[in-house]
Amino acid sequence: MKRSRTASAQVLVLAAGLGLGATLASAQTPKSGGHLNVMLREDLAQGFAVHESSTISTSFPSLPCFNNLVFFDQLKRPETPDTLVGDLAEKWSWQDSYRNLVFFLRKNVKWHDGQPFTSKDVKHTFDMLREAPDAPAKLRINPRKDWYANVDAVEAPDPHTVVFRLKRPQPGLLNMLASGYTPIYAAHVNPATYRTSCIGTGPFKVKEWRKGEYVDYVKNPDYFVKGRPYLDSLRYVVIKERGTRIAAIQAGQLDISFPGETTKTAAEQLKKAVPQLVITPVAQAVSDNIIMNVKKPPFDNLKVRQAVSYAIDRRGLIQAVHQGGAVAGASMQPKPYGVWGLLEKDLAALPGYGKAEDMKARARKLLGESGVTPQNPLRVEMATRAIAIYVDMASFVINELKQVGIEASLKQVETAQWHAMATRGDYQIGANLTGLGVDEPDANYYENYACGSPRNYSQYCNEQVMKMIDQQSQELNPQKRLQMLTALQQKIEEDAARPILDWKLDYYTVWPHVKNLVPHDNIYNFGRMADVWRDK
Amino acid sequence: MKTYVAQRLGIGLLTLLGMSIVIFGMLRLAPGDIVDILFSTGGYVNPAERAAIERELGLDRPVWVQYVEWLRQIVTGDLGKSYRYDLPAWEIIRPLIPVTLELAVLSLVVSVLLGVPFGVISAVRQDTGLDYVLRVFSLAGLSMPSFWLGMVIILSLVAWLGWIPPVTYVSPTENFWLHAVQFALPSLAVGYRSSALIMRITRSSLLEVMREDYIRTARAKGQSGSVVIWRHALQNAILPVVTVIGIEFAFLIGGLVVTETVFNLPGLARFLVEAILWRDYPIVQNLVMFIAIVVILSNLVVDMLYGFLDPRVRYGN
Repeated sequence: MKRSRTASAQVLVLAAGLGLGATLASAQTPKSGGHLNVMLREDLAQGFAVHESSTISTSFPSLPCFNNLVFFDQLKRPETPDTLVGDLAEKWSWQDSYRNLVFFLRKNVKWHDGQPFTSKDVKHTFDMLREAPDAPAKLRINPRKDWYANVDAVEAPDPHTVVFRLKRPQPGLLNMLASGYTPIYAAHVNPATYRTSCIGTGPFKVKEWRKGEYVDYVKNPDYFVKGRPYLDSLRYVVIKERGTRIAAIQAGQLDISFPGETTKTAAEQLKKAVPQLVITPVAQAVSDNIIMNVKKPPFDNLKVRQAVSYAIDRRGLIQAVHQGGAVAGASMQPKPYGVWGLLEKDLAALPGYGKAEDMKARARKLLGESGVTPQNPLRVEMATRAIAIYVDMASFVINELKQVGIEASLKQVETAQWHAMATRGDYQIGANLTGLGVDEPDANYYENYACGSPRNYSQYCNEQVMKMIDQQSQELNPQKRLQMLTALQQKIEEDAARPILDWKLDYYTVWPHVKNLVPHDNIYNFGRMADVWRDK
Repeated sequence: MKTYVAQRLGIGLLTLLGMSIVIFGMLRLAPGDIVDILFSTGGYVNPAERAAIERELGLDRPVWVQYVEWLRQIVTGDLGKSYRYDLPAWEIIRPLIPVTLELAVLSLVVSVLLGVPFGVISAVRQDTGLDYVLRVFSLAGLSMPSFWLGMVIILSLVAWLGWIPPVTYVSPTENFWLHAVQFALPSLAVGYRSSALIMRITRSSLLEVMREDYIRTARAKGQSGSVVIWRHALQNAILPVVTVIGIEFAFLIGGLVVTETVFNLPGLARFLVEAILWRDYPIVQNLVMFIAIVVILSNLVVDMLYGFLDPRVRYGN
């Protein structure tokens, strides 16, 4: 995948007003009208309160209701600075060496209740997110506060201009603003309201949310992109049982699958049963990883952590647990799916990516140096969420660890207790999944590896690593930044801070009459549905 | 009779009071609460934010205060608000009731229509080939987990016909035939399993009655076989079957969770499990109390039916 162009191209970007890329996903002329049924695997977790949630079960079904300032082109699969397009912003400009980010907003945009959209709404949203002292509203839960730690102030000098003033340069902020987790809320609507209904500016309005059953959307006739959306309506259908979900899409009762839902095995079954289904392998931006409590024995010992990382055969896991439906990578999603990930040649030198037997021998040696021998095995408790996708991975890892002298017993933890347990550090070692809201190193590293971050479950804190994180965050030259990130990823894997096992793939499935729904290599950032049409 | 009913209702109220303590206590004993779940959707926990949410939802009050408040709400007809959806609990529960009730009733009808006649035939043709076939049929029904049977039905339909029943609820007023199709398969799946138990109880009860002297007398008096069976024997054998039917109905109300999940029907049972996972106390507490009321009332109806079916049974004396 092509790297983004030079940083100078990012100084002033004129966004296409219509949200259409240079190339339409479908060469046919779109037809207006029609309805599509979309799969949901559970009911909306926090309604449409995207800013109070970190689950795709809230963000995906909320996308049609909202807009961002900028978004990734919905008709292009890669998510790079080159595919950023204006959403509520017509154009934007970096100023003062990436210390100020100015957005020039669209005019004549209305909220679904008819109120005008202005810069006040943007200021309100981001003051709330960064918990500014004078923020007019407060979120009950604010999982991405750290994304905006570098924002010093948000100003709205006129109704159609917003200025983000940063404490230091941060070119990555733009990517974070383009995440599906960064919609704009209405300033005149209490944020709590979004837990039960949705007032957005998006291409669709919520008609009804039947709890536990479905969300119905109807076309927004006042959408600011003329001629969009094409569809008249959407229905997001909740189906809890996996077998029933697959049967429903196979039988044509659902037109569109849920992102991250279709495994390789399920995709093969579907394709065999219905050859005309369109199945696209894409990355999810979700990784399997191991968390180890670095504050407590035995994983306060670097050698023991490294031994765990060496012991786990990544490629074996990809075959055994995902039947090949995942790829190897370090802490950033690997190329070609991500912009910043390590190349294959860089991965080969890292723990767990070489020959399995050699890696395990290395693990045994490290454990031997730490006093762990076959006569004196290390006994630990591996915690994981009591969900099949976690348990499958944990079971494989336990078996790998056994081969090097670590006897791990499995403890399944109910979801209600998992994050509290992980945040408190009330565990030794855990099998975990992590989704990245956007392929942006700042979003990943400040959330998952920064000292003191509540989602840094391993409680890992390394001053050198923090410096590396801060340095790459301020680097304006993409090539230099990539070099810094290569070194950072290697350092983190060598420290076994949170060994990454694989990056999962999705086999995104739609019926062929669904046009212009282009899945991205990130499950959180596609599905606005403004350009989607039905060819039947 | 009126005295008897009043007494039963009084005992029922006491039972409900006891149930309320059990439900309330057990929910609080389960690890984690709604605040933990809310933070799990955010992927982190913050103690200060947690305390604020607990205050907002009233979870920082002493447990006994929360219990008394819940009782007060029930008595005044206010079922409280769902923690998850921030809507009145009754508004969420009300549309679920007809779905589960209909499925339970239809399943029961299927189970009785299959179970009683098969039980009679099996008893009358005891130790014949037909008896063995019917007994195997009933054992199979008892052995198959309903979630497995439901899933097999769904997967078979989609594999052979490329079709499954609608996955969103279709009300009878919206489209009666589609609604009928939607409920037919889950009713058959559940009804088959329940019919197995009814069939076996009918068979064993009838076999016992058919050995009685008055049955031999009826035959000796020249009564035809069908009159002996259906008028004399079955009427006396039916009481245990009625008991089982009553128990099955009560069980179905809360036990349809798997069937509702597999067939994607928006009923009480499925929603109850979801509410438990979310620790949505108002929903769980009120739904379980509702199920308890149904159990109590169905037991009362069964007991009343005894009096109707067996003239020797008189209540209130």
